[in-house]
Amino acid sequence: MLKVEGLTVRADGVELVHDVSFSLAPGERVGLIGESGSGKSLTALSLMGLLPEGVTATGRARLGGDDLLGVPESRLKGLRGSRMSMVFQEPMTALNPLMRVGAQVAEVMTLHGRPRGEARERAVELLDRVRLPEPARLARAYPHQLSGGQRQRVMLAIALANGPGLLICDEPTTALDVTVQKQMLDLISEVAPALLFITHDLAVVASMCERVLVMYGGRVVESGPLREVFTRPRHRYTQGLLAASRLTPRGTRLPVIEGSVPAAGHFPGGCVFRNRCPHATPTCETEPQLTEPQLTDPAPGDPAPGDPAPGDPAPGEPTPGEPTPTGDRHAFACWHPAE
Amino acid sequence: MTGRKARWMTRWTTGGRPGDRPGEQPGEGRGDLPDDRPGRRPGRPGGRLNAGLLAGGALVGLVALAAVASFFWTPHDPTLVDAAQRLREPGGGYLLGADKFGRDTFSQLMVGARTTLYVGVVAVGIAAVLGAPLGVIAGMTPRGWLSELIMRVNDLVFAFPALLLAVMLGAVYGPGTLTAMIAIGVATVPAFARVARAATLQVMVTDYILAARAAGRRRPAIAVRHVLPNIASVLIVQASVSFAIAILAEAALSFLGFGTRPPIPSWGRMLQESQELLFSTPRLALWPGLAIALAVLGFNLLGDGLRDFLDPRLRRIRAEG
Amino acid sequence: MPSHAGTPPNDGPLIEVRGVSRVYRRPRSSFGRQGGVVHALRDVSLTVQRGERHGIVGESGSGKSTLLRLLCALDQPTAGSIRFDGREITGRPERALRFLRENLQIVFQDPMSSLDPRMRVRDLVAEPLVGLGLPVGNRVAELLDAVGLPAGAAGRYPHQFSGGQRQRIAIARALAPRPAVLVADEPVSALDVSVRGQILNLLADLVDELGLTLVFVSHDLSVVRHVCETVTVMSAGEIVESGPVDDVWAAPAHPYTQALLRAVPTLEGLL
Repeated sequence: MLKVEGLTVRADGVELVHDVSFSLAPGERVGLIGESGSGKSLTALSLMGLLPEGVTATGRARLGGDDLLGVPESRLKGLRGSRMSMVFQEPMTALNPLMRVGAQVAEVMTLHGRPRGEARERAVELLDRVRLPEPARLARAYPHQLSGGQRQRVMLAIALANGPGLLICDEPTTALDVTVQKQMLDLISEVAPALLFITHDLAVVASMCERVLVMYGGRVVESGPLREVFTRPRHRYTQGLLAASRLTPRGTRLPVIEGSVPAAGHFPGGCVFRNRCPHATPTCETEPQLTEPQLTDPAPGDPAPGDPAPGDPAPGEPTPGEPTPTGDRHAFACWHPAE
Repeated sequence: MTGRKARWMTRWTTGGRPGDRPGEQPGEGRGDLPDDRPGRRPGRPGGRLNAGLLAGGALVGLVALAAVASFFWTPHDPTLVDAAQRLREPGGGYLLGADKFGRDTFSQLMVGARTTLYVGVVAVGIAAVLGAPLGVIAGMTPRGWLSELIMRVNDLVFAFPALLLAVMLGAVYGPGTLTAMIAIGVATVPAFARVARAATLQVMVTDYILAARAAGRRRPAIAVRHVLPNIASVLIVQASVSFAIAILAEAALSFLGFGTRPPIPSWGRMLQESQELLFSTPRLALWPGLAIALAVLGFNLLGDGLRDFLDPRLRRIRAEG
Repeated sequence: MPSHAGTPPNDGPLIEVRGVSRVYRRPRSSFGRQGGVVHALRDVSLTVQRGERHGIVGESGSGKSTLLRLLCALDQPTAGSIRFDGREITGRPERALRFLRENLQIVFQDPMSSLDPRMRVRDLVAEPLVGLGLPVGNRVAELLDAVGLPAGAAGRYPHQFSGGQRQRIAIARALAPRPAVLVADEPVSALDVSVRGQILNLLADLVDELGLTLVFVSHDLSVVRHVCETVTVMSAGEIVESGPVDDVWAAPAHPYTQALLRAVPTLEGLL
């Protein structure tokens, strides 16, 4: 349904996202993981056509039969909010403080050609669908009268208003309390048609997605079925990130990734992680391609699950060493992968 | 190139856009300093900053230069009445011509710059020295009686027209440059106090003020070490705007006859004197009018530029740009 | 921990909070109309022993931040008493709080906003010393070294550092007057995962080396479990549960704590 090939995002000649490829089948839930500065949000925004001034995206991205990159804004406007929609981190800044929430939900529908009266009725239905209590009364409330969790539900209702095929969530629960986060995540996984879920939180992504893409320095460094990537990470960055996410018992030292995430444009050439990687060798000065593990790789307990994604033609026979950019199988870009 | 890109990234990561929270930080590390991590705070697009500062500085510098030079040299005596040169057209030693009394316009403009700067500096000085501390005090004790008192008196003065105050002071103490300056200065105090108070209120709710209190800092130290540096940019902008207003006010007062006394040249009085000849000899109004406009523009640009220049968060960007 | 000059040795708890309440009055919305009241804290009591690592867990609106401010005497309780090392800290003017300021320092959540952007690192780190009239000497370099920052950091401004590095600066600053107690308000919740480990390790090292008492506030019980021995769980301005963190973790007694534990997604539980 969504197919992204060679997405590259540049600002003033600096590549912020480099050659990102992936695909998403209807009903699939894919996680995009990365720390700050990894380019994960830019990837999402470029699909939505919401990149800020001076930032350009190249490559190919298709949603169903429609191109998303390099098409005029007017075409995208028709798609945004109807065929695909996005939920942001901060519900307070994303809602108009002077407009009743019901009207804001209705507005997205009238914008896409639904009659006003019908939109109003449906807005209340939607607020009910995102499990807001007393939706009819709540529709008349202003954003500041709602709690953070309720506002985020309103955002979700707006995102779902036109029955999009794809929902993109960018850290939708980072600003929320943990107890509220849980309900919100449950709700998202219940209502999302197909989901691209962006987060820095590995535990959250593990509870939401079937497949993940791990980003670092604007590149996808590892991708594949979530369980496989998380239990058997191959890229040293993923390995380090997973280790750092586990809180060891009191009195022990937490594993860390040494060094700093460089500022954008200051990542090393070759493997972007090599200046922080404890295993780096001179080979790493050459850029590793995102490849599936070679067939000679034993992996006895974990035969790569074919997991055929409907509608997405699997990239035939994976030739060893060849880039398999849109594959659904476990792939990584590392010269000295973890076993 | 890195600078420009980073500035953009900056806007991106910290500018309130839904972005890569948590951690606006692109980096982390034990030991190594971010060697070339350019400005990461919201900044305006670059280039324009410097241009504004330079243009403002140049205009203000031009006024200052004219003022200083006028102490040593002017083409003619600006107060010399010479019937022979009456309404003389520009040329032949009279660069911009002469007025109805035969006084050289260019020389008058030069000496008028002196008056203008003098009035601006003193008036803004009075306003800043009185207004800023009052505003800071009111802002640091928002619920105290002192704050209430300051702000109510402030409102009272604010409601009183500056020109009327000057006219009244002029009537009592006699019109003159000093009277005008004091009147303009006092009338500008509330503007400073308000701006300082609003900015202080914003600073007072930040974590670093809380941190300073937790570090054992007393109020006066917090005011001097934390509040003032952080509201300085706002005050500077206010000062430049007030400076511009003071220049206009002085011109207006002189025009009305309550400002600078003849024969001391002043741009405002030059305008006034040119009034009756506005249609026959418009250049007499044009030159002082232009001078006032450019000086006001210069101070406004300078204020904007200085604000950015004085912000350490923007300094690095400039270094790289 | 070393009792500072003027502090009588005391065998009782280092921090003792008794029956503390804090009521905020909402500002009047317009003339004559009385604003409502908010009970930020209701009858809260807790003790922290010398050398203890005490966690306070709660979500937004639980009152944990209010409690923290009261502990640091940055706010006054509406009712109740807070004693530090046997001495009452409520109701005292700032000049009579020197014993507290010298012995209790705080690290805030967001190092971006808790460090004055107009000050250089040198002045930021030295501020508690200057504020208390203590000699600065070579202390800044010492402290920067202790938190793993190069001496060259002293001349820079906070915005030139990454989030984790800024938090190191904040820690160095808090340690400047050689306090006995470090209060940390969500010190890692604004940081990336890989950075979190670095800062938690640093805190643990410093607490060990300097024999500090730690009050660690977090919304995340699993982080508290890694850092602290005892925990107080707060909800809606009240303490709902407290005790050894392992006990609370293994067998939460209060429904709220149970809900909190269930809500936190963990990798272990999901894979």
